[in-house]
Amino acid sequence: MIVFLQSVLSGLLVGGVYALIGIGLTLIFGVMRVTNFAHGELLMLGMYLAWLAFTGLHVDPFLSIVLVAPAMFLWGAFLQKSFVNRVLGALPQNQILLTIGLGLIMSNTVMLIFTSDYRILTTTYSSSSYKLAGLSISQPLLYAFLITVAITGALYWFLLKTDTGQAIRATAQDRDAAQLMGINVRRMSVLAFGIGSALAGTAGALISPTYYIFPQVGSTFTLKAFVIVVLGGMGSVVGATLGGIIIGVAESLSAVYIASGLKELVTFVLFLALLLFKPAGLLGKTRA
Amino acid sequence: MRTRLPVPLPSRAPRGYSVVGLLVFVAAVAALAIFPQFVKKPYVLHMGVLLFLAVIQGQAWNVVGGYAGQYSVGHAAYFGVGAYVTMMLLEVNKIAPWWGVWAAMAASVLLSLVIGSITFRLRGPYFVLASISVAEIIRLATLYFKDLTRGAEGFLLGEIPTMNLLGNEILFIGKRPFYFVGLGLAVVAVAVNWVVQHSKLGYYFQAIREDQDAAHSLGINLSFYKNVALSISAALTALAGGFYAMFVKFIDPNTVFGLDVSVQIVLLCIIGGIGTIIGPVIGAVVLVPLSEILRNPKGLVQVGVLPPDSGFVTFVERYLSNAHLLVYGILVVLVILFAPEGVLGVIRRAATRWGRRPQDVPPAAAKA
Repeated sequence: MIVFLQSVLSGLLVGGVYALIGIGLTLIFGVMRVTNFAHGELLMLGMYLAWLAFTGLHVDPFLSIVLVAPAMFLWGAFLQKSFVNRVLGALPQNQILLTIGLGLIMSNTVMLIFTSDYRILTTTYSSSSYKLAGLSISQPLLYAFLITVAITGALYWFLLKTDTGQAIRATAQDRDAAQLMGINVRRMSVLAFGIGSALAGTAGALISPTYYIFPQVGSTFTLKAFVIVVLGGMGSVVGATLGGIIIGVAESLSAVYIASGLKELVTFVLFLALLLFKPAGLLGKTRA
Repeated sequence: MRTRLPVPLPSRAPRGYSVVGLLVFVAAVAALAIFPQFVKKPYVLHMGVLLFLAVIQGQAWNVVGGYAGQYSVGHAAYFGVGAYVTMMLLEVNKIAPWWGVWAAMAASVLLSLVIGSITFRLRGPYFVLASISVAEIIRLATLYFKDLTRGAEGFLLGEIPTMNLLGNEILFIGKRPFYFVGLGLAVVAVAVNWVVQHSKLGYYFQAIREDQDAAHSLGINLSFYKNVALSISAALTALAGGFYAMFVKFIDPNTVFGLDVSVQIVLLCIIGGIGTIIGPVIGAVVLVPLSEILRNPKGLVQVGVLPPDSGFVTFVERYLSNAHLLVYGILVVLVILFAPEGVLGVIRRAATRWGRRPQDVPPAAAKA
């Protein structure tokens, strides 16, 4: 029982960060209908920024998000304005190939600068954990989870209560109608891509104390992010939050009860099953 | 919208064959066949083999991606199965690769039928995601089931047995034999594409590509023909995989099942131009030398293009050799943004502009 609870708990903590990655992706898809295959690479950039801030400026990775998030927002907005915006009306395949290309450029440029060596960001609390009723809670994962909860809360508030947030949601619901209502949909797209990229970068910074940092780390996360988003329903922010948690727990459970080498395989099998039987996801609406 | 939609070039499958086209093809193959008599540098022949390999991969993907319009980004699955089955039959069961590769192709076709039956119900981004996930599942399984596949350790090829072809003994030593085998297989791949393009099958595929629902309403069995396209493609990709394993002599799950492999296969076609026979060839000619020079710039010195103390070699080795995929990234972004029909499309557009004289322009268009 204690093993079960322990694995659910660690799954939950990781799942929180997964949720953050998924929310960014789903926001981009929801507002622009663009499937962003460079999402994991944005996360990878966040990891490297946090690592740079840590080794260069001695900034704690969890504090560095105040630098990483704005930087990644600007980078995302730049990518949207100069590349993604040009393929908004193109076939989905071409959007996918464009973002795959952008991802390749990012990961290989990072490889040119930092080589393909694995980097580790070791903080004083990297391997320490809290003990609670026989369960151990990894400190860095707990901090990451708490920050994720705070950010997700702030994002919900932003999307639900502010005018800009409502404009973003309106654009996601119906681009043409939103434009007719006087919403600057182009600006919303830039904003959505910027926020999505900032969230991915932040997630990268949050997991930098617990994961290996290397240029190709992104592709795993891109796929994972899609699994999360499709699970929750493409375009649904609540769905992505839920999806992240589910995938985190599912991975953690299958690592314990099946085999740790197979946890990602299990995720993909679940994903295929989901695509076949409920392609709209848990919370998404079926689209023609 | 400012974006031009990508229009795969021929909107109709050509019937019959053009004598000029056939002559050019035969002449090109003949020239490539006698080429090693004049140039014996291993690096050049090595590049040739890689080029043929890319042509086979590109033509293979073209059948399902170019004609039938199903953008599979999981072709590493078939490539890897081709490589692994051929390699394992040789290393474990001592079956010569020219027999083993048939088993590999059969395995790959079976796999494609399973994958096809799952993924072809999906469309657009969902299909792409499903095809990637299937390839990833196979990669992770290969890594995990070590008893059968040796996991991350991979397979190192001992030696290829001597082939007895019509009384001649062929030793697979050096680059030359691989060059000729590669050329032969590339010709087969091109021929398969030509047959597909010129048969009824090609019409069905293109109808599905242009408008699935319309094709369906005309009585085309969508899942049947998509699966036929994928099976042909899978068989050719497995052939490429088997050839790759024998040529490179080492395979592991990440090099043959990796997402990079799938992406490279797609990019070969996208950059050249999809849905045509010459497109993947152009893609291979553009991409293979570029990425190979970045990976191993010393080869240029061996060939004599660059002096031994060239600064270019040191620069590339130091900074770029690890990042040869950067070229793919940059090229695909440029192609998608500025030339969605690929390099071939750009050439054709330039050719029409060049060839069109003022009187050819209809008066209405000329006024506008």
